[in-house]
Amino acid sequence: MNEQLKAILEVLIFISQEPLTLEKIKEVLGEVPDEELKAALQALQEDYASDSRGIQVIQTAGGYLFTTKPEHDQWVRRLLQIEKKTKLSSAALETLSIIAYHQPITQAEISAIRGVDSTYSLKTLLQKKLIKIVGRKKAPGNPLVYRTTERFLQYFGLNSLDDLPKEEEIAKILEEEKQSIS
Amino acid sequence: MEQEIQDYQIQNEVSQSSTDEGYQVKLEIFEGPLDLLLFLIRKKKIDIHDIPIAVITRDYLEYLEKKEQINLDREAEFLFIAALLIYIKSQMLLPREQEVSQEDDPRQILVDRLLEFQKIKVACTILREKEENQLLRWKRTFMPPVAKPDELDLLDVSLFDLAETFFLIMKRKERENFRVIKGKDVSVEEKLKEIVDYLEKNGSMDFLEYFSNQETLEEALVAFFCLLELVKNHTVIAIQEQLFQTIRVWLRKDRPHHLPHGQSHE
Repeated sequence: MNEQLKAILEVLIFISQEPLTLEKIKEVLGEVPDEELKAALQALQEDYASDSRGIQVIQTAGGYLFTTKPEHDQWVRRLLQIEKKTKLSSAALETLSIIAYHQPITQAEISAIRGVDSTYSLKTLLQKKLIKIVGRKKAPGNPLVYRTTERFLQYFGLNSLDDLPKEEEIAKILEEEKQSIS
Repeated sequence: MEQEIQDYQIQNEVSQSSTDEGYQVKLEIFEGPLDLLLFLIRKKKIDIHDIPIAVITRDYLEYLEKKEQINLDREAEFLFIAALLIYIKSQMLLPREQEVSQEDDPRQILVDRLLEFQKIKVACTILREKEENQLLRWKRTFMPPVAKPDELDLLDVSLFDLAETFFLIMKRKERENFRVIKGKDVSVEEKLKEIVDYLEKNGSMDFLEYFSNQETLEEALVAFFCLLELVKNHTVIAIQEQLFQTIRVWLRKDRPHHLPHGQSHE
């Protein structure tokens, strides 16, 4: 194992405020074989996985990032004097998942799926930067078109949109629910 | 919903949206008409592909009647689905010569919507778990005031935000009487150089302030195009913390040596 490479990677990830992508790492390090890089990253992640460590290296939104481990949440909150982190409202979450699965999508299309007006939820999501406007649809009225952002992926700890709950996963849960009712 | 309101208070973003909370009315546990329908279907252990429309329509209307105080905006949405149910019911009553195929089943349009909605609801519960899990992991967020801003924000200030701010300024300017100095043409090249010089001298720029200081409409327009050009060229980075707030502009450390249009600013 290339210990020096591991140390450098640790530094790069530590300094980065946002998920550090493999491309960015390569840009900084220049010529390092992919396998060596991946092995070093893996080793680094394993080092931090130890129980004696409070922080960890996670893979999110297509990059590597240092975060605290979930079990130490209360200590962070005590330090920062934060009661609880606010969660998305169910209306906002519903709107967000519709956008995630159907993007690019307009407000009218979202409301049609939900059966209720979504103006307020969209506003909240835009303010939180979980979604963005990417243009207008060539349709009557030229409505705005929405997409999810990188911050959306990070917010849910997804590496890419491919990590969204899959059709089969959803079908399985529905099946289980059905069984439990009858 | 309470969460949403609470959110607002915490973030001090109450100003423009607080009036919108009017329609955030609690309808028992149901967010909307489809929620209610799914609930009724589950309660009766009905197969979603073979809904007894008469029964469901009755239950649905009964529920609506029980609700005395429904906010008007929401009521319309609940009534829309009620109308759809009654329409489907009437279609089912029509005598047919042949057995209906699945595509001709008047219920199909409702079934499709319910299936899609049900899928989204399940996805929501999975995402909610992920959210809760993720909220327990803290990342470093502290940033020195004029450090290199993160690229994420750069991506997320869309052209629309820039344009919106621009039109906001134009609206303000319209109200002022400003003199037009005739014969003064502002070229894009000069303006580009001016902006970059300003940034080199002052570090960063307050978009709103800079543009309100432009003498003429033309000059302000040119300046706005220049800014777009500089962002595109990766010479500057533009960040807007929140909608309708000012946009701050910084020079990028890794900016190209050329200004757009091949002009050198050295």
